[in-house]
Amino acid sequence: MITVLVEPDNETLTFKRHSTVLRLQQQLGLRVNDALVIRGDRLLTPDDRLNDGDLIRIRKVMSTG
Amino acid sequence: MKCRKCKAPAEVALPSHHTAFCRDCFSIFFTRQVEKAIRHHALIKYGERVLVALSGGKDSLTLMLELSRLEYDVTGLHVDLGIPGSSPPARAKVEGFCERHGLKLRVVELAKLGLAIPDVKRYINRPVCSACGKIKRHWFNRVALEEGFQVLATGHNLDDEVARLFANTLRWDAGYLSDQGPCLEAESGFARKIKPLYRLTEFETACYAFLNGIEIHSAPCPYSGGASFTGHKQLWANLEHTSPGTKIAFYDGFLERGRPAFAHVEQQTGAPLAPCETCGSPTSTGVCGVCRLALAVAERRAADPDRQTGPDRQ
Repeated sequence: MITVLVEPDNETLTFKRHSTVLRLQQQLGLRVNDALVIRGDRLLTPDDRLNDGDLIRIRKVMSTG
Repeated sequence: MKCRKCKAPAEVALPSHHTAFCRDCFSIFFTRQVEKAIRHHALIKYGERVLVALSGGKDSLTLMLELSRLEYDVTGLHVDLGIPGSSPPARAKVEGFCERHGLKLRVVELAKLGLAIPDVKRYINRPVCSACGKIKRHWFNRVALEEGFQVLATGHNLDDEVARLFANTLRWDAGYLSDQGPCLEAESGFARKIKPLYRLTEFETACYAFLNGIEIHSAPCPYSGGASFTGHKQLWANLEHTSPGTKIAFYDGFLERGRPAFAHVEQQTGAPLAPCETCGSPTSTGVCGVCRLALAVAERRAADPDRQTGPDRQ
């Protein structure tokens, strides 16, 4: 299972099945450059694999004013 | 995915450039984009003082840090909008950032000037985002001129610029289309305005902010809901997703082939400017729009028995 914290909405989601960052972005309805995908102090690219127990932060980048 | 330059594991994928970078090579890429913008459009000349508009968001703080690392003489300017729950945390982020990096900061408090944005929203019958933008631009320019800055820099990125250009094009607004771009030269009481991040996307400035440990104010303005600007950005994000590189091609094409034509038209029809009778800022209407706003807010607040904010409450 992975835990996903979505910013700036402060929404926490969990996913039992996980594969890659790209798949996670698709599940969240995000395009590749819509958000930073962060694990620890590193940014992830779409092909990076997600691991069981990962805590992932999704930081949407579009400013709305 | 590996870094195109050094083959280390990549952290930033950039489909628009058909590439990916590790954090060190991304930093070099980012700096080169800023330097290219400055050099190509002569944004900053040797020895000039630069006033950087700081909102507390990723773009403005990123711009400030990058210009300071490039050893430009920069000072930050934060306009405190006086919005409860929103302005204090934004200001705290700006002040903390400048203190951490040893950067100069100047703060303008709209509440002390009788123009707190909640009052403007309450008493002025026009879209608050439009009035707020006008007030901020007024004070950026005024501080720049009054305090001896030759250049006023803002953190507008490629997504901001493309969305703005698209909106101006939808209205065929010749006035705005005649001078939209990364550099608006100083003239008639206006400091030179520059946008050194115009070649970089929101995603790229967000990556820079994260990789450089910049703490940003990311909560949206409580008054900005439903702004058409955001819808335009979404539309362009879809276009860019299906055709990477579309945004910069659209914008560069406008600068090269569109803007000169609109500038020519506007030269023949633009209204002449004169100093505002109240504050001296350039205007085509005798008293400038911001002084008229301040007067209207003061009059209506004085007549409102339920008034809640204003300079008399500071």
